[in-house]
Amino acid sequence: MDNAKTMIEVRDCWKSFPGKKAGEQVHVLERVNLDVHAGEFVCVVGPSGCGKSTLLNIIGGFIKETRGTAKVAGSPVNGPDPRRIFVFQENGVFPWLTVEENIGFGLMSKSAAHREERVAHYIGMVGLTGFEKSYPRELSGGMRQRVEIARALAADAEVLYMDEPFGALDFLTRLKMRADLIRIWQAEKKTIVFVTHDIEEAVQLADRVVVMSKRPATVAEEVKIDLPRPRDLDSPGYLGARDRIFAIMGMDVHGGGAGDPR
Amino acid sequence: MPTKDCRGEKCPRESKPNVLKNPVNRFAPILLPAATAAIFLLIWHLLVRLSGSDLFPTPLDVARGIQELVEKGLLLKYIVASLFRVSWGFMLAVLVGVPLGLILGWFRPAFQALNPMIQILRPISPIAWIPVAILWFGIADSAPVFLIFLASVFPITVSSMAAVQNMQLVYLRAAQNFGVTGMQLFRRVIFPAALPQIITGIRIALGIAWLVVVAAEMIAVNSGLGYLIIDARNAGKRYDLVVAGMVMIGLIGLVLDLLIRRLERFDEVKWGYGQR
Amino acid sequence: MKLISTTFLLGALWLVLISVTHGHLNLKWFAPKVAGTTAAGDKFRIGFLPVTCHLTCPVTDFINQQVEGQSMFEPVRFSGWPELKEAFLSGYTPATFILAPMAMALREQGVPIKVVYLGHRDGSAVMVHKDSQIYRMEDLRGKRIAVPNRYSNQRLLVFRALKQANMTVQDIELVEMPPPDMPAALYSKAVDAISSGEPFMAQTELDGYGRVLWLTKDVWPNFISCVLAVHEDFIKNDRETVQRLVDGIASSGKWLDTTMENRMDAAKFVSKNYYNQHPRLLEFVLSKPPDRVKYTNLALRKPDFEEIEALALQAGVIQKDVIFEDYTDASFVPDDSAVKAHAYQGLQGGEVPPRK
Repeated sequence: MDNAKTMIEVRDCWKSFPGKKAGEQVHVLERVNLDVHAGEFVCVVGPSGCGKSTLLNIIGGFIKETRGTAKVAGSPVNGPDPRRIFVFQENGVFPWLTVEENIGFGLMSKSAAHREERVAHYIGMVGLTGFEKSYPRELSGGMRQRVEIARALAADAEVLYMDEPFGALDFLTRLKMRADLIRIWQAEKKTIVFVTHDIEEAVQLADRVVVMSKRPATVAEEVKIDLPRPRDLDSPGYLGARDRIFAIMGMDVHGGGAGDPR
Repeated sequence: MPTKDCRGEKCPRESKPNVLKNPVNRFAPILLPAATAAIFLLIWHLLVRLSGSDLFPTPLDVARGIQELVEKGLLLKYIVASLFRVSWGFMLAVLVGVPLGLILGWFRPAFQALNPMIQILRPISPIAWIPVAILWFGIADSAPVFLIFLASVFPITVSSMAAVQNMQLVYLRAAQNFGVTGMQLFRRVIFPAALPQIITGIRIALGIAWLVVVAAEMIAVNSGLGYLIIDARNAGKRYDLVVAGMVMIGLIGLVLDLLIRRLERFDEVKWGYGQR
Repeated sequence: MKLISTTFLLGALWLVLISVTHGHLNLKWFAPKVAGTTAAGDKFRIGFLPVTCHLTCPVTDFINQQVEGQSMFEPVRFSGWPELKEAFLSGYTPATFILAPMAMALREQGVPIKVVYLGHRDGSAVMVHKDSQIYRMEDLRGKRIAVPNRYSNQRLLVFRALKQANMTVQDIELVEMPPPDMPAALYSKAVDAISSGEPFMAQTELDGYGRVLWLTKDVWPNFISCVLAVHEDFIKNDRETVQRLVDGIASSGKWLDTTMENRMDAAKFVSKNYYNQHPRLLEFVLSKPPDRVKYTNLALRKPDFEEIEALALQAGVIQKDVIFEDYTDASFVPDDSAVKAHAYQGLQGGEVPPRK
């Protein structure tokens, strides 16, 4: 995928927020550079609160960078865009709509027949057949995340921005969601930028893991995960990549250092 | 909202806890309030008897008073009249209050311009408006309708406004992400997201509207449950009818609340009321 | 959305249903119109309170219906003076029965009100609790007395009685209270004495806890408390109708004072159709004694009003001298002797027909 065209291009990006005291500025991002190719699956990891989500919100168009540039598909990001859909950490599924209404949300301008066809297709793809008329409150957390992913796919987004989408799920559900996400990604060839604080998750999913430093965050290192899918979680390649990222983030897994025990 | 996660993910629709198993439980929702009411009536009766007063009526006097009203055909007339005024005043308040609240909640300049005015008008008791209502509307049905409108429009406006202001940001962002803007955003996202809280406000406002009916009908309208009370005071020693009016107002208030609570059961808003 | 459409549909249905029911039961929308009659909305309205001072209002309405088949006006019953006054100010009731000093005060404040006729003479009392030790005006020293309104003649009456007893208003405590609330207040001894129009005074007597301290005729013979007043524009635009109104009211007064049978009939039909009180109350007031309240000699006479003016000035109800010719129009009934009683034979022992 090296020779594929660049989808996302972040150059020398800075971001600071006004602090609690007047005139004070809190620097969140400093000199961030990031490239994502079309069809690539990139995970962004880093210590909690480092600014991973801020970076994602900048390329998603919800926050404006203080300095530098963020371009998607060749043009500067200027607000949210239906071609690039965010999958939220909290539940972005509309609780007042049924599963199929949620999934069809981005297709309101299309003909009813076209909409129905796409909705049915993606309900099948995310494994929610039989739950078309259900309301989100009747679904489990994992199923709600599936609705949100299907909603993004149905709207024919080129890029999915996922902000810790599986963070609230239990361990087994999370494993299943990861496998399904990879299957969907392979079928749909979307570009995915996936923010997580879970290093194992990043190594299981990504083509490339971008490791960010503590705040003010910058890209500490990029680790290419060149392993075949489905990934063997006991293979030396997997364990090596995982340990390397732990090391970059300043944690010694074997020595039982501080930080995320997973 | 707590999430119930089902292993293997095919989570069946949540079933309600089965309270019907135990026969005692099944009748408790009827028996307990009935027992409370019986005890209340008994104490009332005894207190009147003990006081030796022949002015304040016993529950039996009140029941006979209600029967008399039914026989004269007045009870139905008065209930209809009160419900008519409350219905119109309240519906107008909903039609004005909800859109106004949505606008105030969404457009900051509108909020800044109008909110202080609303907060000034809000605490004024409808009773204080009675002279104004008579001067503007005379004493036909329009004056009590106006008073009930005034009493209920502010709670509805304020709750709709707060509903929009408290809306979860994630819904807004998701909608903007899909390119939804303007009226579409209002119709498809802001309004449905605010609806559960709006309905709660409407429910409270209906209670207030019904509460105000007595005050509103103190104006010389010649029908209605509030009028019944005023009229019974004119009629000399008919305090049984005064209390009968109070009882009817209470009972109808209960029915109204039960009815409006049904709104909260609709699928579009059920999510907003937590687990029940 | 299902919720919105369902609610709107049911709400609209409910509004239609309740409006139609209300229109049918209370507004008589669907009652068949008798040929020659006009809808209630087309008649002018007169405000009144359920007191004997305003008795000629319902009596005229009733007799008109019985004799001519329809009433010329729509009587509107109020419960308190403020509402009655405000309805007049808003133009809702272009004619109204009103307290004489209140009419003067309104005129002084620039309201185009014209007193055209008296409502009654006498017909008021001061009542005390039968257990109390109050037998003379002097016994009221330091006690609490309820009057209907600061503009009421009952208040002036108390002033006059105080003067006769060489007392001042500082010697007592005056409170304002709607007449219908007075009996209960006296019963519970929340006040020591009450004074308002009948039948609320007689009610305490009938129910066995009130005692007459004095009737108005004892303190202020030919006492006037309420008058019939109309909006000035009403006279300007439709003098003829006002004339008919005053004639009708005057004839009713004459009719009431012709025989005791008439009074007893009036007690029955007014109690049933207008006041919603027990007939025994009005029967009592109108007969015990027969001169407790009078409905003749009701033409406007300057000396009567000058007496009220003087007391009103003294009581601070009006600020300066008001001019009799300004707030009255005595031209409608210049001479009492010309007034003829209604040609109505009374109920003849029959049931009271319902008001149309």
